[in-house]
Amino acid sequence: MHGTALALGVEKLAGVTAPPRAQAIRSLIAELERVHSHLLWLGVAAHEGGFDTLFMYSWRDRETVMDLLEGISGNRVNYSANVLGGVKLDISQEQADAIRKGIDFLEERSHFYMKVVTNDETFLARTRDVGTMTKEQAVLFGAVGPTGRASGLDMDIRASAPYAAYTDFPVNVITGTRGDLEARFVVRIKELFETFRLIRELLDKMPAGELTVRVPRKIPAGETISRVEAPRGELFYFLKSNGSDTPDRLKIRTPSLCNWASVMKLAVGHKLADIPMMVAGIDPCFSCNDRLFMIRRKESDPGQIWTWEDLRRYGIGYYQK
Amino acid sequence: MGLKFDIPIGSMVSDVVKSFFKKPITRRYPFERLDAPKAYRGKLVWDPAKCTGCQLCVKDCPADAIELIVVDRANKRFVMRFHSDRCTYCAQCVVNCRFKCLNLSSKEWELAALTKEPFTVYYGKDEDIAALLAQAGKAENGE
Amino acid sequence: MNDIVIPPLVALMFFPGGLALLAGSLLYEWADRKLLACFQNRIGPRWFQPLADVVKLLSKEEVMPEGVNKLLFLMLPVIALAGSLTAALYVPIAGFSPAFSFNGDLVVTLYMLSLLTLCLGLAGANTVDRFSLVGATRTLTQLFSYEAPFLLALLGPALAAGTWQINQVNNFAAQNWWMMLIQPIGFLVALVGLMGKLELTPFDAPEAETEIVAGALTEYSGRGFALFRLGKNVELVIGLTLMAAFYLGGIHNPLDFLLKTLGLLLVLSFLQSLFARLRIDQVVGLWWRIGALLALVNILLVLVIF
Repeated sequence: MHGTALALGVEKLAGVTAPPRAQAIRSLIAELERVHSHLLWLGVAAHEGGFDTLFMYSWRDRETVMDLLEGISGNRVNYSANVLGGVKLDISQEQADAIRKGIDFLEERSHFYMKVVTNDETFLARTRDVGTMTKEQAVLFGAVGPTGRASGLDMDIRASAPYAAYTDFPVNVITGTRGDLEARFVVRIKELFETFRLIRELLDKMPAGELTVRVPRKIPAGETISRVEAPRGELFYFLKSNGSDTPDRLKIRTPSLCNWASVMKLAVGHKLADIPMMVAGIDPCFSCNDRLFMIRRKESDPGQIWTWEDLRRYGIGYYQK
Repeated sequence: MGLKFDIPIGSMVSDVVKSFFKKPITRRYPFERLDAPKAYRGKLVWDPAKCTGCQLCVKDCPADAIELIVVDRANKRFVMRFHSDRCTYCAQCVVNCRFKCLNLSSKEWELAALTKEPFTVYYGKDEDIAALLAQAGKAENGE
Repeated sequence: MNDIVIPPLVALMFFPGGLALLAGSLLYEWADRKLLACFQNRIGPRWFQPLADVVKLLSKEEVMPEGVNKLLFLMLPVIALAGSLTAALYVPIAGFSPAFSFNGDLVVTLYMLSLLTLCLGLAGANTVDRFSLVGATRTLTQLFSYEAPFLLALLGPALAAGTWQINQVNNFAAQNWWMMLIQPIGFLVALVGLMGKLELTPFDAPEAETEIVAGALTEYSGRGFALFRLGKNVELVIGLTLMAAFYLGGIHNPLDFLLKTLGLLLVLSFLQSLFARLRIDQVVGLWWRIGALLALVNILLVLVIF
């Protein structure tokens, strides 16, 4: 997904558009990545609630989509499908058939998981009315992705600012109403169904054509914004070029950062046992949230950037006291 | 086994009972090994016969994993030093090469090692590599 | 097998308690984990895994955190294991009649097993770590919630047999129909109570690894941790023996013992794999509302019918 965002931004700056087949393949890989991410999340959130059986089974089914992606792109997790100007891989007829078979199996399993998540009383006891976020709160906290959509927020970049092939293959936005953890589970599993439908449509009507378009080596100077709908929400890229072949500035704002405010505010008043489930409910990507810390010891302190050496020295000194 | 009604407690019972009588899904790697698909991005392989020394692969590598050392430019004798521990297996070098010299293997992908030596791979004609290593050895001893 | 009299000291140290029980409990832990894996479509550990765990833990350094009472920190694991091993004197372990039997030993056995839980709670409260404190609170809260219904459920067959002595209940159970069929409510409460006692899912809130690291045992490592784990495994075996002796028609020879306890373990693992973890307040609510009520109903039925 990050690769798609960067490629789209660079192509916008260079003034070229990738050919339709490349855009469709980009969307296909993005949707398969969404299936992968939601199945992974289902397992992890179930594990946080102590439901290890659901964890094991959803991760077993995740192997199916990982094998599909391995067959197409060459790696189970890091797909590396994009090049500047298009994609570097093509979908053959037998790969398309394998995808269809895999998706059929996963759709049947997703129906089962939907039943488990909405019916199992022990699991509902952990998810119903936990971390309820109203629509106004979702707007206030800036929640994105399924976390926000579970509270009724109708925000999906694929529908509101379509990119890649989403203009030709529109997406239905899935929203929930209750805004609690159960709604987040239901929204993500319903998104799985929508994704399966979209994948089948993409495979059936894949446009023919080339895979890449020529992009100049030196990108013209300028700034642009590129937004894509990652499985966790809106992924935002700010790209600035100064006319050479390396970017001048690239700022990435991941969706997980936006969703933390909801956990921080809503956790007040809940029990300790609810906290892991609430944190898992926003589908956090912890590595996306590693940020720079500036320590200000007093109001007048302009702030000082700590290097690894500073941090290490501070830690050693702390325990020697 | 599709159940017609929704079970309120223990909803996973159908799966659980079925699995008790099935074989485990776990594949006992390394005793059972599957072949990787053709598109798999494993270790980098270089065919020196077609290489022109344009260094496009070196320029665009995000991890500085490829070095193309020129032994004799006029006769197209190069040695490629590939650092498999730095490589991210993104295949940008494969895309860049205009003569299809580079390929990420789908047969060799079990690259874990206990020492650092296997991570530096030399590609090229044997005499070129030997000459290069001798040069490096002389430089070390001379210092 | 009831005529073979094993001197209590031998039973406590070697067979069928003591070393034999320790070894057997490791195999029972393996069986539990392997069954759980079978239900989850995976392989699970090999048979020597719990033994390997114990050997590894015994060889590791024991880190004593700051601010603990050193004597308590070192002695609590030992007391916990000693309590569980002592309880083996009164139950028909391995099919032999209990080595030391007296009137009222049902209560003593149950409290020996609760000694382990109490030591867990104290161990957690001893350390100055927030996770241990929360784990200790949850352990003791859970102890207060399942203890009464569990004891009442075990009283059902005891009342039917008219005695508080485990040996005599065992013999009574062998001569009548299985109590599981006659007192199904009591069996259900006792089974779920056993899951609470052993801190198995859905009642593993005291040990919730995703919420409070390892609960009361967070700061334990090395020998102390190994002893606590052994104590829990022994508790598993003794709990299963009690349940089988009371509700599954008594235990009178080693084959009987193996079949009945392993059958119960199968049911326990099956129930473990089906449910999510309940929050501690939901556990208490469940036990004090439904559990205690059902146990009382069972006692009333027994008093009326028998």
